[in-house]
Amino acid sequence: MKFFDLHVHSAFSGGESSLEEIAKTAKLLGYHGICLVFYYQDEKQKEILEAEIEKLKKEVGIEIYLGFEARNLKELKELSRKRRSFDLLLARGGEVEMNRKACETKEVDILTHPEYQRNDSGLDHVSVRFAAENDVAIELNLREILISSKASRAKVLANMARNVKLAKKYGAKIIVCSGAVSHWELRDPLCLASLATQLGLELKEAKEAVSKIPEKIVEKMKERRSENWIRPGVKIVGWEK
Amino acid sequence: MKKPKTLIPTLREKERYVKFKVISEQPISYVDLESAIWNLFLDFYGELGVSEISLWVIKNLWDEKEQVGVIKCNNKSVQKVLTGLNFIQRLGDSRVIFKILKISGTIKGLG
Repeated sequence: MKFFDLHVHSAFSGGESSLEEIAKTAKLLGYHGICLVFYYQDEKQKEILEAEIEKLKKEVGIEIYLGFEARNLKELKELSRKRRSFDLLLARGGEVEMNRKACETKEVDILTHPEYQRNDSGLDHVSVRFAAENDVAIELNLREILISSKASRAKVLANMARNVKLAKKYGAKIIVCSGAVSHWELRDPLCLASLATQLGLELKEAKEAVSKIPEKIVEKMKERRSENWIRPGVKIVGWEK
Repeated sequence: MKKPKTLIPTLREKERYVKFKVISEQPISYVDLESAIWNLFLDFYGELGVSEISLWVIKNLWDEKEQVGVIKCNNKSVQKVLTGLNFIQRLGDSRVIFKILKISGTIKGLG
């Protein structure tokens, strides 16, 4: 089984650890691939990151994807336009408008922590239905639990469980990520999957949330970046003479 | 002290052994590890929750050199144990990550 962690920050995006430390730890923990997430600045930054990632891939021997996280609606709009030029698009959840817009946007791969800093779960049945239609995965973020404690942790867990229930009802994808900002916050994939079992997923579904579902997201990304892809739902299958 | 008779196999609790490796900044001692696991589990699951896990950090299977240990629990609580290990971020002054090596029904099966 191939395991993936598609939400990891590094020193380039508010994290503590270097890209190398993260990649080596992920390899040690048995991950097949990770997505290093950054905040978009300009094309020059993107090119530097791509070069760094390519170098690291060869050095460490692990799949590394370049992801950008949209922090607000403006960034989401901009990154949606540039969608084909990088690997994964994540939308930072938390605000209801952002959660809803991310679920409605086909270009978005992952809606990160929709319940972030909220007293409710941040998602309703309409948003989750859109997420299922548009193939947007809803993330369960371990770091959000790690940084909270006691009553606030209990609330976060309850909100996540509510989102899991909604996602299961409407068939939206659920993905479990560490959301790590340091290589010390990366976790064993089996431990990550077990977290989802405590939030209402069956063991098989929980394992898929760290393996099969992220793998599908990666496959979709590869297809999207291929020359034959035109737009969601439209691709060149073959040429007729 | 007299012990009660051993239960027949069908009445006995089925156990699971989780073999793990501690990746840390500095080597970890068994005492630190055991107290961190117990404190975290009591905090997270509460006393009743931990009583349902049948938790035991096995002392004589702790390999100080390799930093490899074994946690015993019942077969229904493996996922609870793995979830709990997510939340142990520090042991003493050292930051840690737990890598799961194997889960088995017998110690022999851990290899």
